[in-house]
Amino acid sequence: MNTKTTNQDMPEIAKRIRRSIIELAHVSQGPHVGTALSCADILATLYFQVMDLDDWDVRDIGILSKGHGAMSLYATLAERGIIDKELLNGYCLNDGTLPAHLDRFAAKGIEVSAGSLGHGFCIGLGMAYGFKKSGSDRRVFAVVGDGECQEGSIWEGALFAPAMNLDNFSVIVDYNNLQGYGRPDDLCSFHPFADKWRAFGWHVVEVDGHDHAALKQALTEATDGKPRAVIARTTKGKGVSFMEDQLVWHYYLVTEEIRAKALEAL
Amino acid sequence: MRNAFVDTVIEASLQRDDVFIISGDAGLGVFDEFKQQRPDRFLNLGVAEQNMIGWAAGMALTGFRVYVYNIAPFVLYRCYEQVRNDICYQKLPVTLIGIGSGLTYSPMGMTHYSVEDLAITQSLPNLRVYSPADPTEAESAARLSLEGDCPTYVRLAKRGEPRIHLGEAPDVTRPLRLTEGDDVALVFHGTVVNEVMEAQQKLGEMGVSAQVISLPQISPCPIDLLDEMLADVPCVVTIEEHFVDSGLGSRLAFWHAAHRPQWKLSCLGLPPEYVHVVKKQHGMRQHYNLTTEHIVSHVCGLIGRN
Repeated sequence: MNTKTTNQDMPEIAKRIRRSIIELAHVSQGPHVGTALSCADILATLYFQVMDLDDWDVRDIGILSKGHGAMSLYATLAERGIIDKELLNGYCLNDGTLPAHLDRFAAKGIEVSAGSLGHGFCIGLGMAYGFKKSGSDRRVFAVVGDGECQEGSIWEGALFAPAMNLDNFSVIVDYNNLQGYGRPDDLCSFHPFADKWRAFGWHVVEVDGHDHAALKQALTEATDGKPRAVIARTTKGKGVSFMEDQLVWHYYLVTEEIRAKALEAL
Repeated sequence: MRNAFVDTVIEASLQRDDVFIISGDAGLGVFDEFKQQRPDRFLNLGVAEQNMIGWAAGMALTGFRVYVYNIAPFVLYRCYEQVRNDICYQKLPVTLIGIGSGLTYSPMGMTHYSVEDLAITQSLPNLRVYSPADPTEAESAARLSLEGDCPTYVRLAKRGEPRIHLGEAPDVTRPLRLTEGDDVALVFHGTVVNEVMEAQQKLGEMGVSAQVISLPQISPCPIDLLDEMLADVPCVVTIEEHFVDSGLGSRLAFWHAAHRPQWKLSCLGLPPEYVHVVKKQHGMRQHYNLTTEHIVSHVCGLIGRN
């Protein structure tokens, strides 16, 4: 397995992850390509620049709480060498390997089963707390969607994490301002989003969620004993120009023609 | 039985480092001693049940054997999806301790009763489900929850229930025959045991010989063992403080239809409807035909005795 990567390699790594996502979406003829592209840079930064994965028994934990972004995680795990790239070939196929939402028994590196929103975040808090209670310095990173932050469980956990001094926990909000059926900000505005986390007692950083260096900085700077919330401003469908910020790519399928156009755009 | 279960867990926790107890802001007094002995192994996660169950699952993923204590509806209903996805689907050693089984908390109101908990928990694969009849069965269930890699739900009443098993601790993974009898089998789970045992005695005085079987392990149901015990019994009556159409009775009705058509089977329990009457537990049992007298007259009707 590779150890952490230099900044210069990151655009190329992210591009390979995105290409892989397009292939997965095409082969499976399944939805959620937009959401997978949205969090690709976040996952690339976590798995290649932030998380300590060299000694697997004491590795840092990555959780994709927005489980419908599974393609992005699978592509990242394969790119990082945690799972065999062969596994990707069975994504969502009949008698296949990897399901469209996360099953922790499906492959190495899937730390938490997820698909229903607002679960992985609280599980991650429990893991961070468990590590502290065991005297371990392992860290937990959970990626949630902005739409996911409509779940009450997120705010239950947000309330308790600072009280438990979980400075080994980071949540990264993939804030692409597009959910399944509209824009969260139109539905019921999160504004002021960062202030909400801050008021709950979190160390909050707002960044461009496609800027690897900014993400790395946000995910590694000291938090003064607080849990960390990184609000990553992202674009759904990022990297494939005709998918960017388009609601329909939450569900639209990647046909042969779309696949060719998307790979071209990348 | 609440204390019997919790004390068994606490006793074990003094010998091992992996036992952790989470309370959902419930159990005043129950954990006082534990909090003193193992202050680093107890956490009150407040009135936030979804987070509580997810958190427990997360701790289990880091190697802890986690116990979550609350009134039964609050470890199951509010956070059902967390129980399903986070604990059962992920097959984690988390034990849900649900207090106030059946109508124990009468007259607190429907929100505090758990008369459909077995319907929910029986449908969850990987989950071991116990409904002990007395403190001894509760202790045995607690010991089982300390081993293995599966999650557990245990339905407990409150405290102060009498001990039915006076000898060795029984193996609660099996149906437990409390009395021998040929005319009828009374199969039950939980604290309705006192009504059932009294009914058995009264029936005996009338010349009706009743076999009484406690079934503490609801799921996975040891149905083959139960079937063996019931092989030569013409009449089977189930008694439970639970909805009649989704607990033990319906489980046996399914078996009866598929394998034992010769049984005369009758199921006693609550009708599947919300409880609006205000009564104490015994009054509730009278209202829902779950008292000794009802069981006796029901059995007499079933076997044609007046």
